[in-house]
Order: sequence, then C-alpha cells, then structure tokens
Amino acid sequence: MTAAEPFRILVVDDETIVRESLGGWFREDGCKVDCVPSSREALRLVAENRYDLALLDVKMPGMDGLELQARLAEAAPDLTIIIMTAYASVDTAVRALKQGAYDYIVKPFDPDDLSHLVRRAQEHRSLRSENRRLRESLEAVATPESIVGTSPQMRRVQELIASVAPTDATVLVTGKSGTGKELVAKAIHAGSPRRLNALVTVHCGALAEGVLESELFGHEKGAFTGAAYHHKGKFEQADGGTIFLDEIGEVSPRVQVELLRVLEEKTVTRVGGKQPVPTDFRVVAATNRDLESMVKEGKFREDLWWRLNVVTILIPPLSDRPDDIEPLARHFLDRFARQMNLKDVSFSPEAIVALKAHPWPGNVRELQNAIERAVVLGKPPVIRMDDLPFSVTHGGAPRITGRKLEDVERGHIAAVLSETNWNITRAADVLGVDRGTLYNKIQRYKLERPASV
Amino acid sequence: MSPSALSPSALAFRAVGAIAQPLLRDVVTRVSRMVGLPCRALALDDEVRTASVVGRKQWDADRLLAELEMRAEALAVPPIGAPGTVLVGLAAEDMGNAIFTHFFGRARIGGGAVVVSVARLSPTFYGMPDDPDLTARRASLEVLHELAHVAGLRHCTLPNCLMRLAHNVEAIDLRGGAFCAECASRLPRHFLAG
Ligand SMILES: [Zn+2]
Ligand SMILES: [Zn+2]
Repeated sequence: MTAAEPFRILVVDDETIVRESLGGWFREDGCKVDCVPSSREALRLVAENRYDLALLDVKMPGMDGLELQARLAEAAPDLTIIIMTAYASVDTAVRALKQGAYDYIVKPFDPDDLSHLVRRAQEHRSLRSENRRLRESLEAVATPESIVGTSPQMRRVQELIASVAPTDATVLVTGKSGTGKELVAKAIHAGSPRRLNALVTVHCGALAEGVLESELFGHEKGAFTGAAYHHKGKFEQADGGTIFLDEIGEVSPRVQVELLRVLEEKTVTRVGGKQPVPTDFRVVAATNRDLESMVKEGKFREDLWWRLNVVTILIPPLSDRPDDIEPLARHFLDRFARQMNLKDVSFSPEAIVALKAHPWPGNVRELQNAIERAVVLGKPPVIRMDDLPFSVTHGGAPRITGRKLEDVERGHIAAVLSETNWNITRAADVLGVDRGTLYNKIQRYKLERPASV
Repeated sequence: MSPSALSPSALAFRAVGAIAQPLLRDVVTRVSRMVGLPCRALALDDEVRTASVVGRKQWDADRLLAELEMRAEALAVPPIGAPGTVLVGLAAEDMGNAIFTHFFGRARIGGGAVVVSVARLSPTFYGMPDDPDLTARRASLEVLHELAHVAGLRHCTLPNCLMRLAHNVEAIDLRGGAFCAECASRLPRHFLAG
C-alpha cells in the first residue's frame, strides 16, 4: 500500500447518528468512508468497491451484523471486520470474534480507543497482504516439474529461462499439451524482479470472445447486459507483475488487434470505457499450435506474432527426451509419497522399463497422473509394472498368447513396439538389442506397424 | 473547495455555561495573538440551552454546535456583526454524543461556529492541581485547531502540527502550537497573524 492511497472504510449501521458521526470522524482523519444503513446495501457496495476495513453494527433490522459478517467473509475474504456493539450484547461480539472478526468495540467509543483500533487494523492489514505476497512468491519459486530433467534439450530450456527471466522481454513458450508451459511461465516470473507482484494467468482458449475481452481488458459498469459493476481486467491486475496468456493461438482476430494495441501502448481501455489506464506488465504467452504456419495461413496476425516472439522457449515432448523420464518419474514418486506420508517408496526394475518404453503422448502431465494413480491405487512401497495404467490397458498392445518361448518373444516385442509407437531405436533400447537384430525379429515374426497410430 | 467561501473574517467568543470571565478573556487574548482576524468577547447573559447525552452527565456536542451555528447566523449580518464572523463557544461542561464518549472540540468544515469544552482540558479533571494558565493555553490551541477545520483543513499526520488528531491531553500538549508549512499554506490569507 502506498502512502498516497487512502484507507477505505465501510460503516454499516441503521442509526443515522452513528453513520454521520463516524463518517465525519473518519473523513477528518483522511480516510475514504462509505456509510450505509443496511446489510443489503453493504453487500452491494462491497461487490462494487474495495474496502480495507468494515465496521458493522451487531443489531440491525433484516440481516444482522453477524450474518453480514459471514456473507462478507465469502464476498471479500480480505476485508478486516470490526463489530460495533452496545454494552448489552457483548456475548454477540465474542461470537463475532470466533467467527473471524478482527475486534469489536463497544458504544459509545472513546475516540482514543477507536483511533488505536483503526491504526492496529491498518497495520494488521498491510502485514497480512505483505505476508501473502511473500508466501505466493515462495510457492512460485519452488522447483517446477517442467524444469526437472538432465537431457540436453531440457538443459537448454533451463538456461534460456535463467537468462531471460530477469529481463522484461516478452517470452513465447511453445510445446505440445502437457509439457508444462504454465510451469515455465511461473519459473520466468519467479526469477524476475516482478516476483513479489502478481502472476496473472488467462486461459485464452477456454473463453468466448466477448468474455475474453472483458476478462483481459476489464469493463465499465453497464458496458453490456449483465455488467452490473465495473471490473478490473487481467492486464490491470498484472500491474507490476506478469500476465501469462495461455493458448494464445486460440484468440480471435478481433481480440488479436486489441492485444496488439495493449502490448504496444502499455495502456488498457476497459470495455465500455473511454479513459486508457496505464499498466506495467510483462507478457509470457504460450501455445501448442504452430503460430508461424498460422501466420502464413492468415489465421494469426503477423505483427502480433512478432511482438510475442521476442524470445521463444520450445519445450520438447517427453518422447524426444527419454533420458528425462526416469528422473521425472522419481521426482513425482517422491512428491506423492510425501503427500501420502509414505516412506522408502521405489519402482520395480520392470516398472522403470515400462515407463521408459511408453510413448507419453500426454507428456509430463500424463506421467504425473500415471505416478499419482500408481501411488494411490498400487501397493507401495514398491511400484510395479501392474500399478501403471498403460501396462494393463494400453490400447492396441497385442496380448501374449501361447506358452512357447517363441510366442512369448513375439508378443513381448510387439508390446514394446506398440508402447514406443514403433520407434525402432527406442524399442531396441528397451529390449536391449541393436536395431539390426530388432529388424530381423520383426521380419521373422511378420510384425506389422498398424496403419494409423 | 473554495477557501474564500468559508474564510472566517472575524471571531466572536462567548461562554457556554459556567465559564469564568478571566478564562474567557485569557483565551481571547491568546487566540488574537495567533490569528490575523479581529477577536472580541461577547458579554451575553442569555443561556445556551442544550440537551444532554442520554444517560450521561454530558452535553450533546452535535446539538451544542448546531445551536451555536444558529446564533452565529445573526452575528454574520450587519449591523450586529460582519459576514464571515465565526462564533467560538467556550463550554464549561464535558461534551460527547451517542457514539463518542467525549470531544475536546467540535466544528464543521465551512460551519459558522466552533465549540471547545474546557472540562477535560483542565488538570483538575485528572485529579491534579488547578492550572488556569495551562487550561487557557490548551483551550486556545483547540480553538485554533477547530477554526482551521472551519477553514477547510483536515487532519495532518505530521507529529508537530496543530492539525494532528489528538484524543487525549498528552497528545494535545505534544503536538505543539503551530501549523506545519503545508497546513499553513492551505489556510486562507489573513487567517494567521504576521
Ligand atoms: Zn480535529
Ligand atoms: Zn499539518
């Protein structure tokens, strides 16, 4: 909170004298005050404005102070609440405290006491928001899984993140779905001087055009049907921090034009508004689409692409970096075991082989889900091949039929080929033979690659 | 806010309740040294009647102020008085309202009157020996603080400024007797002496 920002107070009391007295008193003290006679009006104002402190009278006709307190706890969890009560209802005030009120004060107020109480609430509030910011930034700094890995490709990704994070450069993160693009955005934000401010994420592909516009740029009250209150957009929320535009390839041509303008001018005009609001943000965008070919096809604006494509970080799919599978699997195993309070959990050697052989079309996310499932449904401390979802139900994996050694070998090779998506190099690696030997066996057993995989 | 519209041009002091005349004169003298406005003491024998706060031996500060503002209107009209004359009531009794236990002084921005109660300004209220000089000094500074509110000023956060909020006598004594440069610059011309 900057010194110039006034402390905003909401007074809710059905008695005119209380509203007038407190309103005048706080105003003289340089606070911004709104005074309303009912809980209903208080809820309306809270939906519309941000307050630092609310003083609620316990006894009011209609919804009383305690019920209002409960509703405010949901509507504005950050709001500091002080309950005002007459001497007779101190028990009620104690209930309010148990319900999470900051304090209560008995009428009539000693100006000295009220003044101290408000000062304390002010300090408490700034401490609390400072703590939250610190906690969030610490969470963001915790090792993101996407960056686990020792393959040369991931080393390159790690180096790029480390060198670009401290700058203000726009970053475009590309990669198949499930590769962990959002985690890369988090790592960039966490490594930047903006880390104590917000990282604001927008999943552009999930929202209809109109909704996306007001989500990104905000809107003024009455900008469209249903816009009952003004709303701060994500760009404004990211002021001082980073905005992460996920699935940027899904944005409509109209929103692309507006995005380009905001990125160039660093100001946002709310939908239905006239006044451009300057905001200081850094952009990290992500997509699983090939933006360059979309530009060639005229589906994505070239000027916007150039704006976004200052630094590109490509996260390779897991199947391109099999060396990372085992460290990632162990990383997730440790994490889920810790969450479930299990000790000395490990993979059986066959499970490791199966993990390495799997093509992981769903990338890191699929691997994470598989390990979580195995820890929950399997029989730890040892995770066996049977505990992995694909070893039993992998679609298209031929069953081993017959008891002859030949049949078993044929079935096993077919299964590994299926699991590696007929990647001969990897299948040979998993089987422990060279590629020539594997080709010979494929011909000998007349194994055929399925028409479409 | 246009300062000229609220700018006080003269001050008329009167006792409210059992205020000793020497105390009233002392306060008038002190205030007249600090402000650049003509000051005079009204020798009136009419009682200012006002309600007490329900259940307390206290005058209702809001009603008292409203009563004085009403009387100030007459003072603002020639030939009785001059436009912009502010009525300063020095009250003997303690005052408060339904919401606050007490007030040292009361005024509204742009209002025609201020009221300051000497009850809690006297050391006798805190069980100490009487000190009329100290009481008069505190009362004069409270009057000046309230007059600055009339002239449009709000509270100031600087520790040594007269416009700092003070809820007890220690705070009144600590903040001293002068406006900070910023507050002084916001006051209308001629408000301050010199
Ligand atoms: Zn004041
Ligand atoms: Zn000041």
